[in-house]
Amino acid sequence: MPNSPLISVRDLSKNFRSFHRREGLWGGVVNLFRREYRTVEAVSKISFEIEPGEMVGYIGPNGAGKSTTIKMLTGILVPSSGELLSNGFVPWRERTAYVRTIGVVFGQRTQLWWDIAVIESLKLLRRIYDVSQRDFDERIETFDQILGLRDYLNTPVRKLSLGERMRCDLAAALLHNPPLLFLDEPTIGLDVVAKDHIRHFLRAINQRYRTTVLLTTHDLDDIEELCRRIMIIDHGRLLYDGPLALLKQKLLRTKQVKFALRDKEQLPQLAAIEREGLKLERVDELTWRISFDRTRVSTADLIRQILGTVEIRDLLIEDEPIEELIKRIYAGEALHEVNS
Amino acid sequence: MKLRDIGIVYRKEMKDALRDRRALISMIVVPILLMPLLTIGIGALSAEIVGRAMEEVPKVMIVGGADSPGVTAELRAQSDIEVVPAAADYAQEIEDKRIRAAVEIPPGFDAALAAGTPAAVTVYEYEGDMKSGIAADRVQKFFRDLRDRTVRGRLESRGIPDTLVHPFDIKEQNVASPEKTTGEIVGGIVPYIVILLCLTGAIYPAIDLTAGEKERGTMETILSSPVSRTDLVFGKFFTVLTASLATAFLAVLSMSVSLGIGRGLLMSLTDGGRAGGFTLSINPESVAAVFVMVLPLAVLFSAALLAIALYAKSYKEAQSYLQPMTILVVVPTIVSVLPGVELSARLALVPILSTSLVSKEILMGTYHWNYIALIFISSCVYAAAALSIAVKLFEREDVLFRT
Repeated sequence: MPNSPLISVRDLSKNFRSFHRREGLWGGVVNLFRREYRTVEAVSKISFEIEPGEMVGYIGPNGAGKSTTIKMLTGILVPSSGELLSNGFVPWRERTAYVRTIGVVFGQRTQLWWDIAVIESLKLLRRIYDVSQRDFDERIETFDQILGLRDYLNTPVRKLSLGERMRCDLAAALLHNPPLLFLDEPTIGLDVVAKDHIRHFLRAINQRYRTTVLLTTHDLDDIEELCRRIMIIDHGRLLYDGPLALLKQKLLRTKQVKFALRDKEQLPQLAAIEREGLKLERVDELTWRISFDRTRVSTADLIRQILGTVEIRDLLIEDEPIEELIKRIYAGEALHEVNS
Repeated sequence: MKLRDIGIVYRKEMKDALRDRRALISMIVVPILLMPLLTIGIGALSAEIVGRAMEEVPKVMIVGGADSPGVTAELRAQSDIEVVPAAADYAQEIEDKRIRAAVEIPPGFDAALAAGTPAAVTVYEYEGDMKSGIAADRVQKFFRDLRDRTVRGRLESRGIPDTLVHPFDIKEQNVASPEKTTGEIVGGIVPYIVILLCLTGAIYPAIDLTAGEKERGTMETILSSPVSRTDLVFGKFFTVLTASLATAFLAVLSMSVSLGIGRGLLMSLTDGGRAGGFTLSINPESVAAVFVMVLPLAVLFSAALLAIALYAKSYKEAQSYLQPMTILVVVPTIVSVLPGVELSARLALVPILSTSLVSKEILMGTYHWNYIALIFISSCVYAAAALSIAVKLFEREDVLFRT
């Protein structure tokens, strides 16, 4: 299927019926006899397409509908309405055939079996997915090269660290070499080194096998390092779908200069820097941060002014953290500027 | 439905279970240790208690009898009772267990005995108390002997033979075969244990494979594998069934072994007169037959527990749903042991109770084939219904992802 999207989603919705609990002790008693249900629209009429080989970041606050979307895309949940075609399949209708063509990793859970050695889980998955012994050996070899799996293949999963487990889970998800990989928060809870490992691996398989990746995350570094395109969802609605660069270019107006004063004697001079358009914040006793609108204040001028006013030990210029930007988007600000 | 996929799921779950200490304890350790403890332990304990009570020389009070030195002296001479000084509140003393029994000798008892006029002695005891019963028995035996001796003496003095008052003897003879005697005793307890352990053995894996999987968050991952949901249920179901049957089997095995060891102990417990013809033996064929009858019941339990536990959100919730199931199973099995409850066409349709009753009969060596067929088929129908409910539930999103 050249030139056609790998995933095509149109007006996809998913409703859940949830039981509304009344508050308090009396409410609890009433709950036993009269139940009120409300319908929650977890995903509401979202549409998007993903091309082969893309790595797309799917972000949104907790409960925004990310996992529900992934569950529909992986055939676990049946949508309430809308169309969904992935890899040429309607996931929930042809589930068992479809899932042979995808890999799924849920970051907070493992598909490896808790009490048995990793290699046994992998062997079992080999049988489930009908992977030939030759392909199996070859892929384990490849994964070992990039992920360094060998050391703990014979360890039961429960004894692995989170980072080690995630590597094994990725290997398990990719054992049948699927062209499409869904990752639900793959770096959650991992330390910096482990995160780096996982990102490196994802880039490698994306380049080597042209694996299409859709990943949800709360860690925007994942997005910045892996994805050119992001989709932002909140309250079940798709708020933004486009290049990360565009979002930044349009929305990242503020920059920050962080600097450390040489000693306490510099403190009284700080007031001289303050002026309109600048926001001065204290980070700790000697470290301060100035946020400013880069369209109104020149970074070079500001630095010159700082250096001329106080004696400093260290200075760092950075963009507004992308978290701040996303927070503004979630809060309902900012996005109209991009979409207009 | 693909047998191969069911097999893969089954093997995976079994492999997992065999490495899980909690599963092993409920499946293997509990039945193996519990049974000897129940049979030998309780047997030994009661033998000990009865033995001690028999050894004790109970305190008995004589009320009255001041003008009958003959009989009181004879009573005092008895070695198996200890006569204590009389007191007015003898009834209270028996109640307080300071003395075990009292005997009231009417005035002029010795004289009446000699003259041949009627007289009555009264034995006071605390009914239901074993030690008081033993004391009263001993006192009564003394007076029976005294009466017999008196009768014999009077007959002799008049030259009349003994047979006049002893025209015939009564003997008791047990016609039930040893198997049936065992059936009556063990028959009640074996089905009870087998049925109950089929349930308890299934509870842990049923929770672990459903609610446990939800709690660990592995439900999503297994649902995203290319194994159909039906095959998944069957794989899980066979795992639970294996655990259920293994638990029951190990329990019976362990009980047979401990019965063998504990036979001597149990024999010493039974009444001396009957112990001669009494042997404890469980016929292996009967036990096998009981297992065949219990099989559909184990299927019913496994499927029902799986369905209920799947509905629960967490391990704890599942436990609180499944605990009452134990009572649901214990009640019919207890009813089946009650005297007078016998198999009938109507009872044959009551699950659990029918299996328990028919197992009892089988262990006694009685095979009512029409009932056996009816019970087996009806149990199979219930089991199939439970299994199809479990399969249906696995198809339902609101059950799988209940929040």
